[in-house]
Amino acid sequence: MELLFRIAVFVPVLFLVALVVVAQQHATADATVKAAVVRTGRWVVWSVVLLVSMTLLELLFIGW
Amino acid sequence: MVDANQNDPAKGNGLPAFIMGFVPGLLQWQLGQKSRAALALASCSAVLFLGWLVVGERLFYWGLTVPDGSSSFDNLAQLGLPVLPEILNLPAQVLGALLSFDGSATGLRMQRLPRDLEHLAGWVTAASGMLAAFWAAAGHWQLRLRRDGAAGARPVADPALCAGLSWIVPGLGHARAGQKDKGVVMGAAVAVVFALGLVFSDGHAVDRAQYGVWWIGQNLFGGGSLFAALVTGPMRSVATPIDLDLGIVLCTVAGLMNLVVMCDAYTVAERSVFPLAAGGGAAEQEGAEA
Repeated sequence: MELLFRIAVFVPVLFLVALVVVAQQHATADATVKAAVVRTGRWVVWSVVLLVSMTLLELLFIGW
Repeated sequence: MVDANQNDPAKGNGLPAFIMGFVPGLLQWQLGQKSRAALALASCSAVLFLGWLVVGERLFYWGLTVPDGSSSFDNLAQLGLPVLPEILNLPAQVLGALLSFDGSATGLRMQRLPRDLEHLAGWVTAASGMLAAFWAAAGHWQLRLRRDGAAGARPVADPALCAGLSWIVPGLGHARAGQKDKGVVMGAAVAVVFALGLVFSDGHAVDRAQYGVWWIGQNLFGGGSLFAALVTGPMRSVATPIDLDLGIVLCTVAGLMNLVVMCDAYTVAERSVFPLAAGGGAAEQEGAEA
């Protein structure tokens, strides 16, 4: 439950961080929000890749 | 990447100018702006000592290293050098430290003694450091104008002022520089992350006396840390909230997000004088269409 809660917080916060990051390359709010959605999607994918890699490393070096 | 005048916007003003930025008004003095130099030094010193009247030597306890009579960093700590962001206001900070440091056992105990109104006073001393940074940014902007042959140019708004406004209210600097809707989006993003942090921590995430190192990042959102200093900081803590760690991290992330907002507000105003070369950025094309 705690993990679900943290994921529920993580994704919206990721979007808000993406808004600020991509805004540097855009001049209007519209373009910023659209670019932030795309960037959030990309960051979520990378987050999952990182999570899976770390879990695999844990299994490899520590075990189940 | 170069701007439309073939100047490299990423090129700095050099190390001496950077170092001079730590002394409020020195850059203005160098530029021949004597009255602005005096105003910069006086304003930064006055704000620092206003807060110092309340917190005094307790400021040493909020540094990255605390003088305890045995650490090899004691000499630095005694000069108040590890205390951020006050260090950006170097002369007043060092003078205050020299005047008030007491290395005796009683003096070290006094550093640990909470003061009335210390949350607000701690914010005020930190504001002097931020104010010094904005004065330095203003000096660097003037140097840049001279270096790149645009001494008479008038930007849409003063870049350093835009950055300073964004420190208090994220996005206000963008509104001042003509990008109001983008400023609202960026400001809302910072404010929501900061508010989430306060909610998850039951208001205890932003507390200089308790989490001083995290507070350095949180204070990059000056309006948020001021709210916390006035409202949530003095609240009595009866139990450790279960998501305190999450709250502290979120408030710090919000502060770091606001650092990006401040830099972008400066850049937006800067580009009104030094636009990027044709095809240099999507922002310029959107700005032209808007």
